[in-house]
Amino acid sequence: MLRLATISALVLGVAGASHAETFRWAGTTDPQTMDPHAVNSAPVLGFLNNVYEGLVRRGKDMSVEPALATSWEPIGDGEGWRFTLRQGVKFHDGADMTAEDVRFSFERASSEASDTRSWFAPVSDVVVVDDYTVDILTNAPNPIFPDSIANWMIMDKDWAEANDTTRPDKENGNHATLNANGTGAFMVSDRQPGLSTSLKPFDGWWDNAEHNITEATFTPIENSATAVAALLSGDVDMINPVPIQDADRVDQRDGTTVVRGIEARVIMLGFGHDRDTLKYTSMAGEKNPFLDVRVREAVAKAINVDAVLQTIMRGSAEAASQLVSPSMRGYSGANAARPSYDPEGAKALLAEAGYADGFSFGLKCPNNRYLNDEAVCQAVTGMLAQIGVTAELDAMPVQNYWPELREDNFDMYMLGWSPGTFDHEHPVRFLVTTPNPDKKLGSWNFGGFSNARVDELLPLIQSEIDNTKRQSMIDEVVSIYQSEHAYVPLYVQPLVWGMRDNVSLTQRPDNFFILRWVTVN
Amino acid sequence: MISYLIRRVFQSVLVLLVVGLVAFAMFNFIGDPIDNMLGQERTQEDVDRLRAQLGLDQPFVVQFVRFLGSAVQGNLGVSYEQGRPVAEILAERAPATLELAAVSGLFALSLGIVLGVFTAIRRHGFVANTIMTLSLIGVSLPTFLIGILLIYVFSVELDWLPSFGRGETVDLGAWTTGLLTSSGLRALILPAFTLGLYQMTLIMRLVRAEMLEVLRTDYIRFARARGLGERTVLFRHALKNTLVPVITIAGLQLGSLIAFAIITESVFQWPGLGLLFINAIQFVDIPVMAAYLMLISVMFVGINLIVDLLYVAIDPRLRT
Repeated sequence: MLRLATISALVLGVAGASHAETFRWAGTTDPQTMDPHAVNSAPVLGFLNNVYEGLVRRGKDMSVEPALATSWEPIGDGEGWRFTLRQGVKFHDGADMTAEDVRFSFERASSEASDTRSWFAPVSDVVVVDDYTVDILTNAPNPIFPDSIANWMIMDKDWAEANDTTRPDKENGNHATLNANGTGAFMVSDRQPGLSTSLKPFDGWWDNAEHNITEATFTPIENSATAVAALLSGDVDMINPVPIQDADRVDQRDGTTVVRGIEARVIMLGFGHDRDTLKYTSMAGEKNPFLDVRVREAVAKAINVDAVLQTIMRGSAEAASQLVSPSMRGYSGANAARPSYDPEGAKALLAEAGYADGFSFGLKCPNNRYLNDEAVCQAVTGMLAQIGVTAELDAMPVQNYWPELREDNFDMYMLGWSPGTFDHEHPVRFLVTTPNPDKKLGSWNFGGFSNARVDELLPLIQSEIDNTKRQSMIDEVVSIYQSEHAYVPLYVQPLVWGMRDNVSLTQRPDNFFILRWVTVN
Repeated sequence: MISYLIRRVFQSVLVLLVVGLVAFAMFNFIGDPIDNMLGQERTQEDVDRLRAQLGLDQPFVVQFVRFLGSAVQGNLGVSYEQGRPVAEILAERAPATLELAAVSGLFALSLGIVLGVFTAIRRHGFVANTIMTLSLIGVSLPTFLIGILLIYVFSVELDWLPSFGRGETVDLGAWTTGLLTSSGLRALILPAFTLGLYQMTLIMRLVRAEMLEVLRTDYIRFARARGLGERTVLFRHALKNTLVPVITIAGLQLGSLIAFAIITESVFQWPGLGLLFINAIQFVDIPVMAAYLMLISVMFVGINLIVDLLYVAIDPRLRT
């Protein structure tokens, strides 16, 4: 009993002392693993960006800057990229970071067991030139390769071998699932899956620390009302996200502030391009009206995006004209206009297409994937009704939603897309090219949109070194998918973070919370 | 006696099997875990490979039989989300739920009996009537609303108690406890009250009704006639006789405290089994959901079995 009392006194003492300096933050989802190569998901990669580092990293404005590599240059005529590594970089366990670790991390992250292996599809080999020089050879010229590997994190080869974790194991877990040994600004000091994860600054970090954190603890709080209460009561210093309907209240309260921004994610509506008939409502089995581009254009004109943003997003979001937001690489400035809200014009288009009396169809929507997704779909349903088109809305949890889309169970659907490479090529590859499992193209193009010219342009875009030529090809793709109304881009999803007044931080459009930019006054 | 015992055990096993089968049939409707497990850059090939690897391409009956097969050998499988053995995760989370259930059970029982006796004695008093009216609110308001209300009053506005979590815990080896630190105890107050409120009201109303009944009986009248003190009459004679049904109910309610802690745990981010289950539903973590549901049904079936067997022990007529 005496021992217990001592333990609890110790615990209390420690808690009392560290309380003031610990930065505590909460998000909806726990990073399911500490292994940077096991899972390709935003909660995991966002969290581990504080612990592990890549050859390059993204700055506050999303631009690519040197990290573990100090410089990089193309090899020959687009044969690959040569990276010069930073000297004197240490892993958290004190080991030196060298070219062997980079090669090992490539093998690990591109292995069959890794979810990140699609990043390395263009890579043919990684060659160690000397301790601080690495050549990454590509199958074809790849101008955006350095941009695409900011989340590829370098792991120590010796540490992985010593702990029997040379390959990620998502299904059964291994040492790297619960432990981390990166080069980043923070070390994992305590990991309780699903409950809390604590970080401590790494004294041996190569870069100058901008933060003043001595300890940081992340807690997943799934219930948004609980998270808001935790922020308001001062039990946590920052939460992401703040529910849009609570944002003003949190902002106006003494002691807490809301930071708003826009995310990299574009919310859009998709059509079933590849089917002859409708699947839902009383019109099931009849000709699919969305095969006619005039009908698709009518849908685009019928939706008052500004009204949706004013009411449902409370002014936080931004209307979108294309499949990426303006801050992404390859955004087409030449195609920045979106169809204006014009219900009369939409009706005229419908009449021209032979649907003067309208029609009905099934609209599929998630109800827990994007911010206020179901409410937006309800608004869309209402706006389509104004032009005489009846959408039968079916909203469901995301766990059920993806299987439905995969089974082609929709006439129209909602989709959000965040380009993993922050480049326009990404949504073109996944959403606009003709689905082709062998070439791993169009894997999220559920509606089966297909355009020969886009298919022809994509490989050219992927290998074009000259930025001006590349952009003009992207511009062409954008004008095709815009004039075809392959999708109806609606808006860029807002980011709403809440924090205590004494916290200053940087909000990045990828929704990653970067701890090394946080200061607490 | 033996044949009755065998029959009851057999029935219990049957109930468990049916619960498991229904649960596995339901998992098909909860959604598909594959998209949560693979990132946005997954290919159809990855989807098919993982589905086959997890056995999700099989009919639910086959999945259930496989689960049973390994569960009987003590292997509850590996969580899809965490990549760790489910048994390990359950053992980690159980202390939080059991402590919360025990404390709220204790709170419900003690306060329920005291208030029950009080409202029975002062049947027409103003305070007793107020308590009775307020208790109606306790029964009729949903748990999550009470929880959020308490958080806003005591954490956000008054800043007296923590709004979420379990506070500092002490690791005793196989068990982590929040009962030994002041922050752990403070963190227990709101969730324990929220979880125990309904049971407390139930016990209070039960005690009150039983007391009123007993106080009308002859032996209480005789006890008073013998000139015994009011205190002795009420607590030695009356209360004792009301407690038999109360204890039966309280025992059964302990099971539901554990099972229905789900909502309370979710509102207070209490790191117990219920929160684990909620997260498992979000992720479609089938091994965790299956193990939790089986655990809860084993618990309920077990409690009922014990109660039935106790009846046999008490009532000789059932033995033939």
